[in-house]
Amino acid sequence: MISEFHILIIGYIFGFYMAWNIGANDVANSMASAVGAKAITIRQAIFIAGILNIVGATFIGSHVTNTIRKGIVSTDILADPNLALIGALSALLSAALWVSFATWKSLPVSTTHSIVGAMIGFGIMAGGFTMINWGKLGAVVLSWVISPVFSMAIGFGMFKIIVKTILKKKDPYERALKLSPFFIGIAIFVVILSFLFKTPLGKRLSIGTPTALIVAGTLACLLGYAGMRALRRFVKNPEASGEEAIFRKIQIGTSCYVALAQGANDVANAIGPLAVIYFIVKTGSVGTKVPVPLFLLLFGGIGIACGIAMAGNRVMETIGRRITTLNNTRGFSVDFAAATTVLIASKLGLPVSTTHAAVGGVMGVGLARGIEAVNFRIIFQIMIYWILTVPISAITSIVIFKILQLVV
Amino acid sequence: MRIPFLSMFVTSPFEGLLEHAEKVNECALVFQQAMECYISEGCERFEDFRQDIHRIEDEADSIKRRIRGHLPKGTLLQYDKFELFRYLGEQDKVLDAMQESLDWISIRSELGIPQRLATDIKIFVNAVTNAVAELSKMAAEAQKYFKSYSNDQRIHVKEMIRSLRRQEHEADKLEDGLKQKVFDSISDPVTVFHLVRMAEIIGSIADHAENAGDMMRAMIAV
Repeated sequence: MISEFHILIIGYIFGFYMAWNIGANDVANSMASAVGAKAITIRQAIFIAGILNIVGATFIGSHVTNTIRKGIVSTDILADPNLALIGALSALLSAALWVSFATWKSLPVSTTHSIVGAMIGFGIMAGGFTMINWGKLGAVVLSWVISPVFSMAIGFGMFKIIVKTILKKKDPYERALKLSPFFIGIAIFVVILSFLFKTPLGKRLSIGTPTALIVAGTLACLLGYAGMRALRRFVKNPEASGEEAIFRKIQIGTSCYVALAQGANDVANAIGPLAVIYFIVKTGSVGTKVPVPLFLLLFGGIGIACGIAMAGNRVMETIGRRITTLNNTRGFSVDFAAATTVLIASKLGLPVSTTHAAVGGVMGVGLARGIEAVNFRIIFQIMIYWILTVPISAITSIVIFKILQLVV
Repeated sequence: MRIPFLSMFVTSPFEGLLEHAEKVNECALVFQQAMECYISEGCERFEDFRQDIHRIEDEADSIKRRIRGHLPKGTLLQYDKFELFRYLGEQDKVLDAMQESLDWISIRSELGIPQRLATDIKIFVNAVTNAVAELSKMAAEAQKYFKSYSNDQRIHVKEMIRSLRRQEHEADKLEDGLKQKVFDSISDPVTVFHLVRMAEIIGSIADHAENAGDMMRAMIAV
């Protein structure tokens, strides 16, 4: 019999391992287009991603986390604390193992979907198939199709707008400056809305949709104009393509946002199950929702940042060297498409991953003939891994659960 | 390493295409030197130049194969894939035609040419190599268009394609004039045949350059 204290320590280790994997696996999603488009250097990307992930995880991250992500598994399984302890541990480990394998093989999996799959496995073991909310699972399946397609449409539209209103015009630099309030404004609008709707901090402010729209709209207008003035000051004597220089500056902002949101949202994937273990050990029982102490969030954020710092260099270097065909206007379109998709999908309650949205954005800009050469066949390969994620982490979770039941 | 984001990006075939265009331009310079040597009296280095061209053609060929072999199925480009291959094919034929003309000349190179034709041939060869130089410049400008999507740049490329067409027309007229002069001034039928065929092959260099330009016109069509 292993003592509960030991289980907590093992939980910390698994939780850190999962957070590390989230950082290592997802760093490409937030920073790839910015590094590819040379908006920021590799060092800057790792620094920004690391710091903003910690900040996002600690201060915006969920202080009251749903113990079972997205309500796919019925909370009845938490009734027996001993079972819940083993379940949380096996879910954490199986998701971490799958994401780890995926990082090693460079497979595009979603960390959110991995933990969802692992929780399903635990749910099946603890209470049978009736524990699973199959309708919610359907939403996950739907998101495999919806998020890339939606992101693709936005990426396509955004790039076409940039081509029509800026690139094709006589003086693209001057046009880009003139229209920059619109592009900065629309990006800020999306950023603020997703901050208010998607992040737990925004949810705690509990602003209604109309108020949120007004707040976001006003701020977007103000910051848009402020941004234009700043660009006029800082982007001086344009080289051959001044319009790209302008979008390079705007892109730094969008990639920072993605990193911040990533930390805020993904930390729960590692910390949620850890919080369950923590509460069972401390109090002996656990409810549907548990308050997560700040140090656990900081712990998760640091885990993510460690993953970014250790795997990031290799990933970023490859990206910087290989993606030579992505300009800043294209990179901005990809970022914008991904951010907007994540916002709208989470408003609809779909569990989306930034990986899916980013890939969709690249496809959209490619379809708009913005990228010199895009491989569309790869998307089928990517989709297979998206689909495989849920059953594989579920089965691994079941196996680990069985083993742990024997040991503990 | 296979990063999902990354595996979507294929190396642009345009880089290779420019490399190939550069080879064509390099070849044109050697070709011009070879022809100047051929029409001057006591040319000794003609064979060296011819070997040089064979070497350049070989290198260009491997670039061409690399482009064709490294476009995975399902790759979306800014233009039709087969337009690109047609363009590349025509650009390659420019090289082939230069090589062929030197090979043809080499059959009887030691005999030289009647000196009264020297100036005409020189002017003709210059016209042809100018067209080739314009072609490789045009390819570089076209890449700038695909990167920027600027309308001004597109107009600039169209203008270059137009001038390429004019240069081909110019070369055509010079070819006709040269053939006329060959018939008028030379009575030995074998020499006439050799020179007329040579003029036709050299003329075809400009033809292929023009065809490549037309293909690029289709590629930049909106």
